Amino acid sequence: MDRRKFLTLTGTFTGGSLLLPDFLYSFGSQKNLIVGEQCIVFVQLNGGNDGLNTFIPFEDALYYDVRPKISLSKTEVLNSAKGMAFHPALKGFASMQQSGDLSVIQNVGYPNPVRSHFRSQEIWQTAPTHQEYLSDGWLGRYLDLQCKEHQPTAGINIDSIDNLALKGEEPNSITVKDPDRFKTKSKAENDGQLSDNPQLDFVRKVANSVVEGSDDIQKALAKSAPSDVIYPKTGLAKNLEWISKLIKGNLNSKVYYTSLGGFDTHDNQLAIHKNKLTELNDAVFSFDAMSKGFYEDLKKSQQLQNVTIVVFSEFGRRVKDNGRGTDHGTAAPMFVIGGNNRGKIIGNNPNLSDLDNGDLKHEIDFRSVYASILKNKLAFDSSKIGIQNKALEGLF
Amino acid sequence: MNNPTLWSLRLGYSAKQAQTIEKIGLKKFLDESFSSKFDSKVPDFLKDSPKTFAEFKEIRKMYKDNPDQKKEMQKEEIQTFLEMKTWWIDKMREAEFPLREKMTCFWHNHYVSTFQKVKVNYWIFQHNQILRENAFGNYKTLTKKIVQSNAMVRYLDNVDNKKGKLNENLSRELLELFTLGIGNYTEEDIKNGAKGLAGLGLGEDNAIYRKIFEDNDNFVYLGKKGNFKIDEMIDIIFEQPNIPYLITRKILKWFIYDNPREELVHYYGDYFKKMNFEIKPLLTKIFTEEYAKNNAGSKIKNPLEYALQLMNELNIENPNEKLIARFLKDQGMDLFNQPNVKGWDGGNSWLTSQVFLQRNNIADLLCNGKNLTRAKKINNDNSMMSDDSMTRQNPNQQLKVKLDWNKEGDNKEIIAELKNRLLFQTDNADQQDFEKILKYDFDSKTEGSDNAVLRLFNFMVKTPEFQLI
Repeated sequence: MDRRKFLTLTGTFTGGSLLLPDFLYSFGSQKNLIVGEQCIVFVQLNGGNDGLNTFIPFEDALYYDVRPKISLSKTEVLNSAKGMAFHPALKGFASMQQSGDLSVIQNVGYPNPVRSHFRSQEIWQTAPTHQEYLSDGWLGRYLDLQCKEHQPTAGINIDSIDNLALKGEEPNSITVKDPDRFKTKSKAENDGQLSDNPQLDFVRKVANSVVEGSDDIQKALAKSAPSDVIYPKTGLAKNLEWISKLIKGNLNSKVYYTSLGGFDTHDNQLAIHKNKLTELNDAVFSFDAMSKGFYEDLKKSQQLQNVTIVVFSEFGRRVKDNGRGTDHGTAAPMFVIGGNNRGKIIGNNPNLSDLDNGDLKHEIDFRSVYASILKNKLAFDSSKIGIQNKALEGLF
Repeated sequence: MNNPTLWSLRLGYSAKQAQTIEKIGLKKFLDESFSSKFDSKVPDFLKDSPKTFAEFKEIRKMYKDNPDQKKEMQKEEIQTFLEMKTWWIDKMREAEFPLREKMTCFWHNHYVSTFQKVKVNYWIFQHNQILRENAFGNYKTLTKKIVQSNAMVRYLDNVDNKKGKLNENLSRELLELFTLGIGNYTEEDIKNGAKGLAGLGLGEDNAIYRKIFEDNDNFVYLGKKGNFKIDEMIDIIFEQPNIPYLITRKILKWFIYDNPREELVHYYGDYFKKMNFEIKPLLTKIFTEEYAKNNAGSKIKNPLEYALQLMNELNIENPNEKLIARFLKDQGMDLFNQPNVKGWDGGNSWLTSQVFLQRNNIADLLCNGKNLTRAKKINNDNSMMSDDSMTRQNPNQQLKVKLDWNKEGDNKEIIAELKNRLLFQTDNADQQDFEKILKYDFDSKTEGSDNAVLRLFNFMVKTPEFQLI
């Protein structure tokens, strides 16, 4: 993509990080200076991630009272700070926090929480003021204003379906179904699976050969220096690896979006949740001797200050367990990694004694997190896309 | 997709007739289609266009005296030509039984005659009207009528075919493209046929022979000897054993199969001949027998079928038909303006990557309630008509889109409903994607549910399966 087509240039250093002498990076005081080509990578945890078992108030006795079957013991959790601890699977997250690269924002949600996956995802993706129904997503609206003309690769979504968050008036984003197959001209040719209908095979071939903006992506992939980081063999890791290639190949997309499903843990939560959090953790920061994650890759290639990773879910889960699992709930922590965030824990610990119908009350509005990201990382005034909330302080 | 829906799409341009087909049955539906009334009056936009010889003479004289006025008049004629396109698109969209228009378009692509070459709107209109009147008539009779239209004799240069200075163009296409097809005649037949056609030129209402340019020597035509004129030549052509197959193959391709099996072509072709080239019994036989077969998804939608179905599904009232005409042109289906006398090839040639991308783009635009404006951006360098005149009519107008769906349904029922209207088949992976868009806890009663279902619709119409009927 031609970076000049972006109306707002991020910071004064329009040429990107190359123009900056290396020593500037070492200045802690420069942290809020927006430099280089900033981008945001969203990792949406689908199904409603159980916040209380992710970032755990392990010093709160109530936690063990309300979750007799599924609480995590003090001895196994990974101590963080202020009486909070990470799920044992989140070793990488704990480590990133120690390096000052990970912020935790506690009790994030919105007023009058909706416990439907469908609607709550819609709310997170469109960021309406009073839960009105919007047909365009918050990032789509941002890209509409940001791109002078239609820019198919301003947003990249890795999924089998289009993402409402990126939907705008203009098609400024593309959906890539499977990065692995991206290079191949034809899915049909690639996996050798033809249907018994030659006409359908023909159309599929055509459909797979064209993604608008694919030339830009091809160029970025070609330009991207080969990485010596070997990612774990999971879907999320593969997607993040691919995103890293595009970033290093200077595609200059503003927004990348990918997701990880399976967090709807109504039953058998301990095993499923551990499994899913492990996939998340290892894709970002793997402790495995054989493989490394996205964070390590970005750090090694000195991109971490330009890339902000945002991990969130459509809602948290019920405070009290239902036996071996948890039902749909409300507020939950959000994680922000890289992009020169301040590495703090923002907000109070979850208050397990002051509940709303058995659910946590939210304290920080997700839209104020969006506002902060737009303001601090993309130099964009979020009120222009209808987000009224004040930008969250202390994140960057 | 159920059969009535599939056949509503095949015999028309949308799922609009599915209910009727289901209610009265296909046979009755065909009968109603065959007897459907059609508009035979000269449309208003042709009011000021020249029609008679006297008028042409006058205009030619005026052109000589006043070159500026010539430009002005030509501009007006181009405008009129655009009106004619929208006039036709409107008929296709509005017809209660669209099969007549679909068949007219089939003949339009069989007996090609383009405005670009003919340059007289009224003749193009007459040509089109002959096809409409005879859409379900007799193949032989129609061939006679159309070859003796002013549009055709000019399009295929028979106006220049004169004794001693023969022009073989019409004679060749009559055999190669209109009737027998290659391999069923000799070069000698073409040369000789040109003699029989010599002198057939422009007339007041239709083409007529001019005595002074006729060639009245005897010649051999497909094995027969005589001084044949056009009607007799066509009679001889229709005595040839292979006459029914080319047209039968094309009909099967137009409605059902991009690649029809030859045995099917012969099976229906032989029947066509037995029926003395009457089109109604042929269509009835093909459609009723094919209806019973499992053959969904055998044909790639042409741009008309693609665009009009979308507009109908989205309940777009009064769409800007000039923009539709424009879209068709970008998609390689410019009405009254085929690239050559062979017409649009159809089948796989409808879809290139660029065309597919444009289809997806306009699906996005329409679902967003926007007009087809992006069409202009994508293909604005190879246009022959002025862009201004095409899009002058408020191109950025916002469209009101509204999807019909069952508000009482849950996510799976709504998915099933849309699938039935839009996709000839789906697999498990598709279904999973659909259920990611409309999740199990989707509530159809909420205010924003329309948007969500529209997103599902938008996704479905961008699948490869939507391209096929």
